[in-house]
Formats: sequence, C-alpha cells, structure tokens
Amino acid sequence: MDFLRPTTWEEALAAKADRPEAVPIQGGTDVMVELNFDVRRPAALLDLGQVAELRAWGMVGGFCRVGAGVPYTTIIEELGGPLPGLAQASRTVGSPQIRNRGSVGGNLGAASPAGDSHPPLLAADAVVEVESRDRGVRMVPATAFYLGVKRSALEPDELIRAVHVRPATGPQYFSKVGTRNAMVIAVCSFAIALHPGERRVGTGLGSAAPTPRRAYEAEELLARELDWQAPLDPALLRRFGELCAAAAAPIDDVRGTAAYRVHAIGVMARRTLTWAWNDHLGRRAA
Amino acid sequence: MRVNGAAESLDVEPWVSLLDALRDRLGVTGPKKGCDQGACGACTVLADGVRINACLALAVQYDGKEITTIEGLATGDDLHPLQAAFIRHDGLQCGYCTPGQICSAVAMLAEHRAGMPSAVTERSGELDEAEIRERMSGNLCRCGAYNGIVDAIKDVAGQEAR
Amino acid sequence: MTTKYAETEPRQDAVKHVGRPVDRVDGRAKTTGEARYAAEHRYPGMAHAALVHATVARGRIEAVDTEAARAVPGVIEVLTHENAPAMKPAPKTSLMNLSSLASGTTVSYLATDEVHWNGQPVAVVVAETPETARHAASLVRVAYRELPAVVDFAAEEPNASPQKSSVLQPAGGDKGDAVAALAAAPVSVDLRFTTPPEHHNAMEPHATIAVWDGDRLTVHEGTQNIAWLRAHLAQRFGIPERAVRVLSPYVGGGFGGKGFVWAGTLLAVLAARATARPVRLALTREGVYRTVGGRTPTVQRVALGADGDGDLTALIHTSVAMTARIGGMPEGVVSSSRHLYDAATIHLRQRLVRLDLLANTAMRAPGDSVGSFALESAMDELACELGIDPIELRRRNEPERNPMDGKRFTHRMLREAYEVGAERFGWRERDPRPGSMRDGRWLVGMGVATAYHPSLTMPADVTVRLAADGAVVVRCALQEIGVGAATVQAQITADELGVPLEAVRVEIGDSELPAGPGAGGSAQTAGAAAGVLDACRKLKESALALARRAPDSPLRGRRLDDLEARDGGLYHGGRGETYAAILARAGRDHLEAGGGTGMLKFLAKTLNERRRWVKAASGAHFCEVRVDRDTGEVRVSRWLGMFDVGRVINAKTAAGQLRGGIVMGIGMALTEATQVDPRTGRIMNPSLSEYHVPVHADIPRIDVHWLDEPDPTMPLGLLGIGEVGITGVAAAVANAVRHATGKRVLDLPITLDKLL
Repeated sequence: MDFLRPTTWEEALAAKADRPEAVPIQGGTDVMVELNFDVRRPAALLDLGQVAELRAWGMVGGFCRVGAGVPYTTIIEELGGPLPGLAQASRTVGSPQIRNRGSVGGNLGAASPAGDSHPPLLAADAVVEVESRDRGVRMVPATAFYLGVKRSALEPDELIRAVHVRPATGPQYFSKVGTRNAMVIAVCSFAIALHPGERRVGTGLGSAAPTPRRAYEAEELLARELDWQAPLDPALLRRFGELCAAAAAPIDDVRGTAAYRVHAIGVMARRTLTWAWNDHLGRRAA
Repeated sequence: MRVNGAAESLDVEPWVSLLDALRDRLGVTGPKKGCDQGACGACTVLADGVRINACLALAVQYDGKEITTIEGLATGDDLHPLQAAFIRHDGLQCGYCTPGQICSAVAMLAEHRAGMPSAVTERSGELDEAEIRERMSGNLCRCGAYNGIVDAIKDVAGQEAR
Repeated sequence: MTTKYAETEPRQDAVKHVGRPVDRVDGRAKTTGEARYAAEHRYPGMAHAALVHATVARGRIEAVDTEAARAVPGVIEVLTHENAPAMKPAPKTSLMNLSSLASGTTVSYLATDEVHWNGQPVAVVVAETPETARHAASLVRVAYRELPAVVDFAAEEPNASPQKSSVLQPAGGDKGDAVAALAAAPVSVDLRFTTPPEHHNAMEPHATIAVWDGDRLTVHEGTQNIAWLRAHLAQRFGIPERAVRVLSPYVGGGFGGKGFVWAGTLLAVLAARATARPVRLALTREGVYRTVGGRTPTVQRVALGADGDGDLTALIHTSVAMTARIGGMPEGVVSSSRHLYDAATIHLRQRLVRLDLLANTAMRAPGDSVGSFALESAMDELACELGIDPIELRRRNEPERNPMDGKRFTHRMLREAYEVGAERFGWRERDPRPGSMRDGRWLVGMGVATAYHPSLTMPADVTVRLAADGAVVVRCALQEIGVGAATVQAQITADELGVPLEAVRVEIGDSELPAGPGAGGSAQTAGAAAGVLDACRKLKESALALARRAPDSPLRGRRLDDLEARDGGLYHGGRGETYAAILARAGRDHLEAGGGTGMLKFLAKTLNERRRWVKAASGAHFCEVRVDRDTGEVRVSRWLGMFDVGRVINAKTAAGQLRGGIVMGIGMALTEATQVDPRTGRIMNPSLSEYHVPVHADIPRIDVHWLDEPDPTMPLGLLGIGEVGITGVAAAVANAVRHATGKRVLDLPITLDKLL
C-alpha cells in the first residue's frame, strides 16, 4: 500500500488524478474502520491531513465556504451563528473524540444515508465544491450529490474541496432519534431551515431513504400556504408533518423499523417547524 | 512522534493505527483496544492536547505530534487529580476502560473551560451532571461505573473552580 | 427488627475495615496504565494469530485455499483442518470434576471438515505482526458444502423438548393443580414474553498469549476461572496440570463471557505449538461475537391467578431457551418463580431447543435476569388488573417459607427492602393511573420489581503468611474482573489478624497460587472469605501456641476464642502481645497457615445445606422513566435499589457491583439484542456500534442501599452481589413504561417502535 502525503491542494489533486484508486483519508473516522477490519486494503491512501486549505473556512461570494477537512468541533465552536443547523447536527455526531477528527467532507465522501451533516446541508441548499486536476471545479448541489447508499456524484479523480452554505437568514433546527441518548447512529433525523426572505422553508431527511433527501412536497406546501406573519396553523403543521413522512422511503434494519421511521420523521418535522416558528415570531416581535 | 514527552522514532507500515503503534510497537499499553472502530473510547489519547480515538488515527498521520496517554498524566508519584478522583470515587471496576475515561475527562474539562458547547447545552455554561454525561458518552464502561466517573469529574471540576 | 442501611453509616462494632468504603488496592495500577491485561505482555519472537470464520451455519469444508494468505510477506503459517496438530476432544462433564464443565463448546477445532455454526473458526493465520495476520486471514478462501441447519429460535420454539433437572437445578415442578386454579381464578393475567440473545461485551476483548517451553505451557489470559482453564488446557493438550501456568492478574470485564474456554484460547495454544513461537491471539470485537457464546434467547409464559384481595391462587411460569448441538448451558429461567411468591398452586416447566448456533453461555445472572423480567412484569400487570399497588401485591404474597417445598429461608428481608426503599424513593407520590404523570412532552412513569439471586459459595485454598516485620501476604488464585477481589480479602484479613490494612498484600491471578474459586455465580468473595477466615484462625492458633510456650507471655493459658486480634497482635483486655514480639521470642521470622475446604467435603456440605435451606441475595428496584409521548424515546431518569445482601465487606466496591448490574439491566431493558439472521444463523450486529450498551448519557444517578444484616449461614454473613443487581431491572423499567404510557411491552428490548 502506498501512502501519499500531499501538503498542498494542487499536490492532492495531482495525486488523485494520477492514482484515482487512492482512498482519501482526512480525520480517518470512516476509512480507518475499513482498514482495521480489513474490509479493504486500498492500493494507496491519500492523506489530506497536511493540506492546510482544507481545514479553513471563510466567506466567499456571500456563502460560507467550509473546507472539507474542517472538523465538527470547529463547526460547533465557530459556525453556530451562520450555520446553526449544521452546528447543531455536528454536536450529535458520534462522540467528542470523533468530532475532533471527523469532518463534513468525510461525511459527504462516505455518503452514508445516516450521516448527521446531510439533512442540515440539504435544508440550507448547500452546494458541494469538488475538483479534479484535469477537469477543474464542479459545484454540485447537495440534492444532486447523493446517488445511493454510500454512492455519491464524486468522480474517481475528484476530491471534495468544500461545502458552500448561505449563512442562515432564519431559524434552523436539527432533530435526531436514536436508540440511546448519545453515541448513536440516527434511527432517523430531520433538519429544517427557514428562509424568510424567500418565504420558503428547506427540509432534509436522514436515514429515511437510500439517500439523504428533501421533502419537496412538504416544502411546496409551506411555500404556498404559510402565512409568515401569523402563528402556525395547526392543520398546516399536521399536513407538513404528513408530507415529510410521505417523503420518507425507509427500510427495516437493525436500528429501527420502516414504519417507525416514517412516524418519527413526521414527529420531528412538526417539532422542528414549531421550534423554528416560535423563534421566527420571537425575532419579529423583538 | 513525542509520546508522553519522550521522542519516539518508529518505522511503521502506512496502515498501522496509532493505537497499534503505541501498544504493539512502543509497548505503551495504557490506551486499550475495545472495538477498533471508535465506538467505545477505550483507546482515547490526547494528540496535541485534543482527545482522539487512537484506533481511528493512522500512526503516520501523527508524525511530529505530541501524544499523551494515561502513562503521561501523573507527575512522578503524584497522580493527576483525575486519577486520584477516579480511585476516591471508585469510578472504575475492571479498569480496562479507565485509561480512556481519564484521558477523555482531562480533555473534556479543557474543552468546557474553553467554552465548547455540547448537545445538551442550552444557556448556562455550568458543568452539571447532564453535561458531564453527554460529554463523556464517547467512553463506554461495561462494568457500569458511570456514577463514580461522573462524581470523580465533578469533584475535580469543583476543585478547579475553587 | 431494626434496619441498618448503610452505604454512609458503616457498622460501628469490633470490625475495623470490613464494611468500610475502602479504596481499591489496585486503583493506582488501573488509573495509571500500569495494570497489564492479557494482550499486553511481550515475548521475544512473539507471533500474532488471526481467525478465519465460517460463513455457513452447518456444512463440510470442501476446499481451503490458503495460497494468497501464505503469499503475504510476514505470514508464518496458515493452520486449517488439513494441517493442524490434533487436540484431545473436550472432556465428558461430571459434577465430581467441576473443571470438566469448562468447555465452551464440544468442538475439536481444526480437527475435522465439519462446520457447526456460522462463525466457527476454520483457519488460523500466524504472522509476524497482528495487521499481517488479520490481512492474510481476509485472503483465505473456503468452499463449503452446506447442510441443512436449524438456526431460527423463534421458528423452532414450538419443537422444544423438556429440560432435564440436575442436582443443583430443578427444571420444573408442581405444587397443586395450577392449571385448574388459574381457570377458576376471579382475576388473572396470562402473558407471553420474549427476550433476545445478548452478549457480555466486556470492554476487553478476549486475548490469549500462549508460550510453550518444551511440554510446559504458559498462558496469559483474562479468565474468570484460572483453575478450570488450567485443567482444561492440560486435558486438551495432553500434559499434566502442573505443566500449565495461567497468568490472569487483571481481567478486563467478564460477566460470564470469560468463565469457560472458547475457541480463541485453544487455537492460540495450538498455533504456538504448531509454529514453536510464542503466539498472541487477540480477538477482534467481531471475533468475540463469533466465537464466545452469549445469553440464550427465551420465550416465556407467565400466568397468574388471584382472588379479589390479591392473594395468588395460581402461578404458572414456563420457558423455552436454547442450547446448541455443540454445547451450551441450560438456564434456570423460571428459577425465581420457585422462591418469590406464596402462590397456592405453582406449575413450572423449562424446555429447550437445540440449534446449529454457537453454544450459549452464562451471562450475568443466567436464568434469573430473564426469568425475573417475565415474572415481575406479570406481577405488575396483575396489580393493574386488581387495582392494587404493586408493592402491596408483593407484600401480600410474601412467603414465610420457600413456596415450592417449605424449606426455610436463611434470611429474607424483602418486606423491609420495599418498605425502606419506597420511603426513600418517594413511591407515595406516584399516581397509579397510567399516563397521569407528565412533564412537558414527557410521560413520567414509576415502576418496581424484585431482585433475587440464589447464593452459593465455592471452595478456596488460601495461605496467609505473617512476617516478623508485620507484612502479611495472602495467596489465592482469585480473578479480578472488577469486583475488588484483592481489596475485600485484604480488608477481611486485616480485621481477622488485627493488623493495618496497608500491611496486607493479596496475591491473585496466577495458577501457581493456591487454587481459588471461579469468579462466577456471585460466589468468589464468599468462597475466598471462608478460606481466609480459616487460614487466619490457624495462623493465630500458631501464634498463640508459640506464645504459650513462653513462661512470661501474657497470653499464657489463654484460648484463642478469649482473645481479640488488634494492634498487630493478640490481646485479652489490655493484656497481650504483638505477633512481632511472639515471633522474636521464638526466633522465628514468619508464620504461615493454609485454609480451605476440600472439594468432597464442600460438595457434601453444600448438598446438605440445600436440603434444608434456601438462601439468596434479594432487593427491591425502584425506577422512574420518562417517555417521549411522540417518539417513544425512553429515558431512565431515577433509580433506587434497596438490597438485602447480607454483610457488605466494602461499601465502595459493593455499591459498584450493584450499580453495574443495574446499568447492564437498563441496557437489557432498552437497547441490547444480538440479532441473528434467521436464515443463515449469522450474527448481524457483532460490534459496539450496532449492539448498543448503555453510555454515560443513558444512566442517571443510581441510589443503592442495603439492609446490613448478616446471613447466618455464610462466611462473615456476606451474600454474593455480582448478579443480584441485574435481576428484576428490565421488569422495573417495563413496569415504569407501563405506568407512563399504559403500554405493556412483553418483548425485550423496549425499542421506540414498540411504544407507538
């Protein structure tokens, strides 16, 4: 096995272009499990830990550009203001030890339907910046990034550079149901983001389908019928929950039943919208 | 790599985890192997002061870094306050998760001092039992010594506050 | 009767160390990383082994392709049934030779092409590094001819056959006609419960280092039974017991999973012999699931009939559990129902199915932990039916003598446990109507259940040596799995000899030491204590005999029973002398004495006692849960356990044992289940990320207390405490959930979907 250790982004892209079979490793929280269990022993490992650019975030063109290697811990500490949904989700990823090493880039790379960062990225219209040496940069909307269980739109010669998320203009919430109180892979999860300027609400469902997904019909319902000045109409809230649940296409697995997941998505959709709405009205009053 | 203050030079294959390098190559066996997948926390060590699962880190990624394990916490015969508190409050039974618990607790107190919120943090920054439990949940204890561990950490956090 | 419940109020009588919350003597080693567990020893030339597991439940190996594995640089040997040296078959079990019970399975590994379970080791790779061994193991290709296999417990359950009784464990029994009484009962419940397979998940995965020196074998392994392991290895490898040394000073958790001898141990020893190298075989977590048995699943029926006042007229408790075709331990699932309630009629049956799975084994309170879930849930449901408080229902049916046979209890204080526990927990605040107590979106529920675990001891040989400088060394091959084995025996020794605790060193964990009892059945502490008491008494007799020879000794003419051991010597009132003075005068540098009971005498005494008495540790669990009314998430928010465990030796470690049992019980109640694929017999969640044990955030403050009344028949009056804590826990949670939600969950674990 070769161990490739680029120190700049250009070197990393070159290495990946030359060795498309090389497996990128950042914090190691996903790849190491496969190595330890000998699920695979790749021909080459591409250690991105030395590529300083990947561990930085900044504002670019009105978007918050979060480097693929920014650990969850940094998101929690520094990005709770602009990216509250992602920061909330980050607090629930694995354990503190994993949050110190794991990153959104790794979560995207693994493309597990249970990844905690996916729902808030979807709800906030995130765009994934990927790049290859030979074909340059592609900006892939999160909605188009997830293709299947552990499959993404990333090409073999590409690396994930960053995610771009517009700073929140309204309340965002993340909710997760697990079989225990912490250290848990989500049975299912849900994120909501209010975009008051556009009179629009974004959603994201996790562990509720082969890929993380949005509940489009539920979003359209709110875009159509939500009165942004008034208290939440209970009937509308209920329909929102139903449509979010209807967007789920889960399976039975060791963590939970499909029927339970559908139910819980509905509960979390109603809950997070209620919390977000209370904040929204509170902000207007203030 | 520096391990507990001493420079260690090591030639390992790229697939060797930091945990295996410490335990099998350097004979630093304080960090324990419980799951090899970041699910139990028994291997918790501090890398430049940050708590990580040594099983999920490649040794080669830690070239030049400062690694602190349970063996590096005491000063001579003087135990680290958390080590003493774990004994006093019986925050252990079989002892296998204990090095990881203590290393994790050392970093956890530092994180809290630095203002890091957790999943249960609402407004106040007080390190109450719920906060300690949430922040220590990356470290399993199958013997179920959780109450004693929380007491030990609370005790030390209280000493620090005074 | 006065009750002293005393975590915080130690007994103020003659004893000085027993009962106190003494710090562990090995606390420093365990908190500094100094304590070395089995896999952490190094030998020059040590090689590393990894297992290849079968992927079919039953069949024959048609071909093994080891070429790719052998080609990996650093691979030393690949052992399969085609080239492995032979081991002797597992011994026939006999109660006259308890170590014959040590076999985890009856399989002769790598001796034939037969596959008996999905996960059975079919090859062992030995290599220069652990990573190489693991990688090469993944390259071994095995072709199987599959044979029909019976692996689906649920489907097989109707075909179960009656379990056989043994001297120690009756499999059933009848008192009157419970079937008729149930039919005639004005109030009744009749419920069917299921519990899943579970795994111990001790934090330390099993690991063995095997070193051959000619025909002498040294083994490092964390085991719960040094004596059994030594005898078993001697038998399997055809060498005398004295040629085997087992070193096991620290055991990273056991819970039953390290009580028997499993494949990894045997294959490490085999690989070391085949390669003439010291070999380490450290199982992966998955390897533990594939090669070490877990708790049997069960299906149980509990039917209770009562008159309108809540007096039980019928108690029916039947069970189906598993063993494997290749071994396994039949569990006493309905055991609690023999002892807990004074029902007018009782009908008990246990049945078994035999499956093509890895053999099941003991896991913390085998039988009682799962049986108490069913019985104590059913009692709660009956209380609901009757509209009687569940504590009151238990009080009304509390027996004066053992319900099945009228034997006397040596000791029984369940009434007191409930009374004091209820007061401390605030049971009075409970509104009995289901769903009536709320806190925002949380439904609050309170439940109780009884804990009950039979007490026994096992024989131990102990030596105690007292040197002229005051140093005391106690030697016994005990196992430290977290209970504070050395600590509590040091306390007992210090009190018995009247020396400072710091003067006592207890040597454990080595088969060269006098044989100890296994750390199982909650029997280690009592068994070792009996040996320590005996040895200390003999040592004091020797000291007294020496003293009496001297004309000027103040002890002249005294008998030991008149003397008090204190201040490093023997005294009668203010007159006496120190051991140091006695030894100096006699020109001796030490005294040594051995204590213990021979196995035959022990068995005779045990059987004799069992004919007359029933003895057990017991207690009352009080649990408060919060259930999210929309998602069904259950949080245990409060716990109180009030126990009757006889005399407590160490208030700190005892509390830890009891809490530990409760924590494991909470896992059993809410999250734990080993998922076996019903088609292939393969465990689907063999990891700590998919098998969920409780984390810090799942466990609230657990109050444990005890009624500090010594049992009259046990050494120092102590009753074992390792297992009683878990019994009744799952029922207490289920009963609290029933109170919070109105839903009775009959199938463990109580997952989210079952509450919708």
